[in-house]
Amino acid sequence: MFNQPMPDQAMPPDENIALQVRNLDFFYGDFKGLNNVNLDVANKKVTAFIGPSGCGKSTLLRTFNRMYDLYPGQRAEGQIIFHGKNLLDKSQDVNLVRAKIGMVFQKPTPFPMTIYENIAFGVRLYERMSKSAMDDRVEWALNKAALWGEVKDKLQQNGLSLSGGQQQRLCIARAVAVKPDIVLLDEPTSALDPISTAKIEELINELKSEYTIAIVTHNMQQAARVSDFTAFMYLGELIEFNETGTIFMQPVKKQTEDYITGRFG
Amino acid sequence: MSEPSVSAGIDPHARQVRKFRLQDRFFHHTTQLFAFVVLAALVGILVSLTYEAWPSIKAFGPSFLWTNIWSVPDDEYGALAAIYGTVVTSVLALLIAVPISFGIALFLTETCPVWLRRPLGTAIELLAGIPSIVYGIWGLFVFAPLFADHIQPPLQALLGDVPVIGGWFSGPPIGVGILTASIVLSLMVIPFIASVMRDVFETVPHVLKESAYGLGCTTWEVARSVVLPYTRVGVIGGIMLGLGRALGETMAVTFVIGNANRINGSLFAPGTSIASTLANEFGEADPGLHIAALFELGLVLFIITFVVLAISRWLISRSMGSEGL
Repeated sequence: MFNQPMPDQAMPPDENIALQVRNLDFFYGDFKGLNNVNLDVANKKVTAFIGPSGCGKSTLLRTFNRMYDLYPGQRAEGQIIFHGKNLLDKSQDVNLVRAKIGMVFQKPTPFPMTIYENIAFGVRLYERMSKSAMDDRVEWALNKAALWGEVKDKLQQNGLSLSGGQQQRLCIARAVAVKPDIVLLDEPTSALDPISTAKIEELINELKSEYTIAIVTHNMQQAARVSDFTAFMYLGELIEFNETGTIFMQPVKKQTEDYITGRFG
Repeated sequence: MSEPSVSAGIDPHARQVRKFRLQDRFFHHTTQLFAFVVLAALVGILVSLTYEAWPSIKAFGPSFLWTNIWSVPDDEYGALAAIYGTVVTSVLALLIAVPISFGIALFLTETCPVWLRRPLGTAIELLAGIPSIVYGIWGLFVFAPLFADHIQPPLQALLGDVPVIGGWFSGPPIGVGILTASIVLSLMVIPFIASVMRDVFETVPHVLKESAYGLGCTTWEVARSVVLPYTRVGVIGGIMLGLGRALGETMAVTFVIGNANRINGSLFAPGTSIASTLANEFGEADPGLHIAALFELGLVLFIITFVVLAISRWLISRSMGSEGL
């Protein structure tokens, strides 16, 4: 009756948890980039990852959609449970994982195609739909990213013709358009001006009602503003993980306190 | 007391500046001279080709371009067969070489294990360094017999009865001919196109590819929808480089094309190209109309390559213009 749950597949899926990270180690060749990370990413909440450069926060984010797979010599050990399955398993279809866990990068990366196609491209990979349904989806996604009003008259222009902030919202729209469960944001505003940054933060607030969001940021005020949970990382280890209010008001660990008060990093 | 020291401080400085300015002007004029040498050579070649070809231009007029006759005894010349051979072999060579080069470049940049990347890349560059005469003798003595014995008969059996394209594979399988020349040419241009494609594929930012992978794309989808559109200017440039080389290739083609100055609907049939006609006939051509006709062929080849270059420029500028940037 009271058996320990099996650590792998048999783990009961918890409604409130989108990703369970267990004993995660990560290696760049011989260098250990992450050391025994354990945490739960809450469903439909914003989880922020902060810490000094090189602490492993982006590395951790890139294990969530197995982006490291593209590079020989990089490997992860441990478990990341997503919908009851370890997504680090070799048998897991990595393309399907990535379709369910979208990602937005530090620099805007519109594809070399029209604004419309930038959105439709990803949708078309996994769904067949009519032209009018696609039109609706494109409009829906651009609306989600608060970009529709600005681009609705120039959908056939190249995505590269937009401003930096618009390009980044286009990338968010593109990620949202395929209706993922989780959206990973890797320093999404660090290349943007303050106004565009504010728009993106607003957007994150709206998106969290429907999506689980994991965001890596260098900007602690941003983490405090947009996130529900915050993880502080240092030298490849998860130092402290808690509700954002607690992390910023009453951090338990000395290192966390030093970092958020600006004493190092 | 202080005055001489001040002027002594300024004077050498001013002299120095004057010297620099002179040096700059000298440098500017020298490099300009070098650049103009290219222009002079181009104009000089064009003028001398036209001058030497003049008797033929006068005798045959523009119909030289579309007359299918090349008769030394009758002193009647038309370029159609040579133009046909040149264009068909080059286009066929590209049709074969472009997909293969694309595959090679994709493999090298996207999926190749790191330890294999360097040896393979070097091998491709070495392939580009083989002199064309070597391709020629290899094509004539090794490839053509193999092709005649083992590839042409099954190809003929398979496609010979298909309407429209069947005629392309008719006739005796003798090894040398238009198709053989095209295949040898494609081998020669693959290293050029593949290495240009590889170089431009490497310029695609990792993060752009990661964005596409992040949506769940396969490697092929990333290549087709992101890498290729992003690099299309460079890819077109690489293909045109290959085309330019194929159009002008002389020795290898002379060996394997069969050197028959006629147009035959079959790709198995021997033909000729502008470059191979020139190579074959210059040695024994008598002064007069024959030499002039050969010069006119040379002029035609010059113009064809010029047009190819112009078209590629136009393609590139059009594809950049359509981005609305």
